[in-house]
Amino acid sequence: MFSGGEPDPTKLGLVNQSQDALSFKFVELVKKEKTFVVKEGAESTLINELMLADQTALIIIPETFNQSPNPGKLRLLLDASQVRQADAIRDSLEATLLSIERDLRNIKPMFSLELEDVKSRPQRYIDFLLPGILAYMLMNLCIAGSGFNIVEYRRRGILKRLFVTPIQPKDFIISIVLARMFIILIQLSVILGLAIGLLKINIVGGLISLYGVILLGAFIFLCVGFFLGSLAKTQESIRPLVLLFTFPQLILSGIFFPISSLPQLIQPLANCLPLSVIASTMRNIANDGGGLFVMNFNSLGILFWFLFSFFIATKFFVWQKVAS
Amino acid sequence: MSIIEATNLEKHYPCPEKSGETFPAVNNIDLSINTGEIFGLLGPNGAGKTTTLEMLEGLSVIDGGDVLVDNIDVKKNPYQVKKIIGVQLQSNEYFDRLNLSDLLLLFANLYSTSIEPKALLARVNLEEKLFALPDDLSGGQKQRFSIACALVNNPKILFLDEPTTGLDPQAKRNLWNLAKDLNDEGMTIVLTTHNMEEAEYLCDRIAIMDKGSIIALDTPQQLILDYAPKPQEIPLHGNIEDVFLALTGHGLRD
Repeated sequence: MFSGGEPDPTKLGLVNQSQDALSFKFVELVKKEKTFVVKEGAESTLINELMLADQTALIIIPETFNQSPNPGKLRLLLDASQVRQADAIRDSLEATLLSIERDLRNIKPMFSLELEDVKSRPQRYIDFLLPGILAYMLMNLCIAGSGFNIVEYRRRGILKRLFVTPIQPKDFIISIVLARMFIILIQLSVILGLAIGLLKINIVGGLISLYGVILLGAFIFLCVGFFLGSLAKTQESIRPLVLLFTFPQLILSGIFFPISSLPQLIQPLANCLPLSVIASTMRNIANDGGGLFVMNFNSLGILFWFLFSFFIATKFFVWQKVAS
Repeated sequence: MSIIEATNLEKHYPCPEKSGETFPAVNNIDLSINTGEIFGLLGPNGAGKTTTLEMLEGLSVIDGGDVLVDNIDVKKNPYQVKKIIGVQLQSNEYFDRLNLSDLLLLFANLYSTSIEPKALLARVNLEEKLFALPDDLSGGQKQRFSIACALVNNPKILFLDEPTTGLDPQAKRNLWNLAKDLNDEGMTIVLTTHNMEEAEYLCDRIAIMDKGSIIALDTPQQLILDYAPKPQEIPLHGNIEDVFLALTGHGLRD
């Protein structure tokens, strides 16, 4: 499931406006770097591709390259909102530049990098907010779809009727989860569509990854809903249980503001909450172009909650009477 | 040859009056139900009939004793037992917006079997209600449909929990005939009932329960001979209701 965190090569646009021999040497060395997939072209074309996220960064070698007063000065264009990628690209480029410099002079640094944020995806508060809101809606829809329904099914004796058949709790839970997932996917797709269409939200990462997180999140919260539904006797008693589960997460899971702005003491706990790991992963995909199958704290958190929620849903599931 | 063997069966529930204490809802009972018979469990409210039935069906945890259903240990393999039995519950509710045909197909899928809904509904005289919703059925039709649901896996044993409660005489007779027909086809039937006439008419043998114990078990005729008032006494002709009242008293139970 996880790739082990090995980064994909960075798509790097390269515009060489200089006729200096040093610039050609630089281009040649950059192309040899395994961490880059280099595409050469005209500045306007490559800037356009950068805006569309077809390129991750763009290096422009100016006409005045290797001339006074700033010999060796390059321009690096990228989206500064992708901080981690920007750092990685800069580190890699600096290493390349140093290598060239050693080749040629081996005395003092010849090059300097000037970082320019092209603001192709300027991040607004709504961009930050949307993934969190989607995750919060996902949690509420799922718990309403399983927890409240299961209490009602039990009250009416529908579960008991199913219990007299050979169906096992895990099969029943999986079948309800799959059916609910389909409905929830449609509901969230409508919200996402409206956000993209009306609020001009820019989803930087892949939609498939985003939907992957939504499906995993749906599974987790539906299972939690089953668990809460097993503890509650009536519709009245499940409401406070659901509130007890959802409300703290609304505050602590970084839906409206980053978890880093919370007091230091509660940040470790906040980071471990199911809504936190789902919202953070969705935000990482939507805002930073991250992937789903990357080994990090949040993906491990999703894996943990995936297994744990299914365990408690099946372990505590009751067909006829509430758990004591 | 017995198809159900229960030995030293026990079930305890928390005592409502005394916290932390339990009382025996079923108290160390032995049962042997023969293949192909209609076996009745009679008793006043709270006697332990439904609890006993649910333990035989694998629906309720068995606190003590053992149950073998068709040589399958219910405690160890409740899901195996459920594959070979059909259960009609006291009250039945179903998923909204599913008609009778949909529901029968759903239940058949739960047993991993395929059925012809119309043919199954015809067995309980409901074939014209194929696309009706359960809420649109009368009381008698609902009970017959719940039996149809219990028949989707063509069970060896059919459990009926107070099948005629609340039905009018016609619906009651209709359901009795259905039970007789199924029994004639070779199906073993175990039922609980408050209805003495029903027990006397349907059952080959009857166990009378009170306070979690079996206080009498025999054929209806033998029970009448053993427990009903003698002909010279009033009433002149005894029946199973007389037996029941003689054994369990006249006091109201709830």
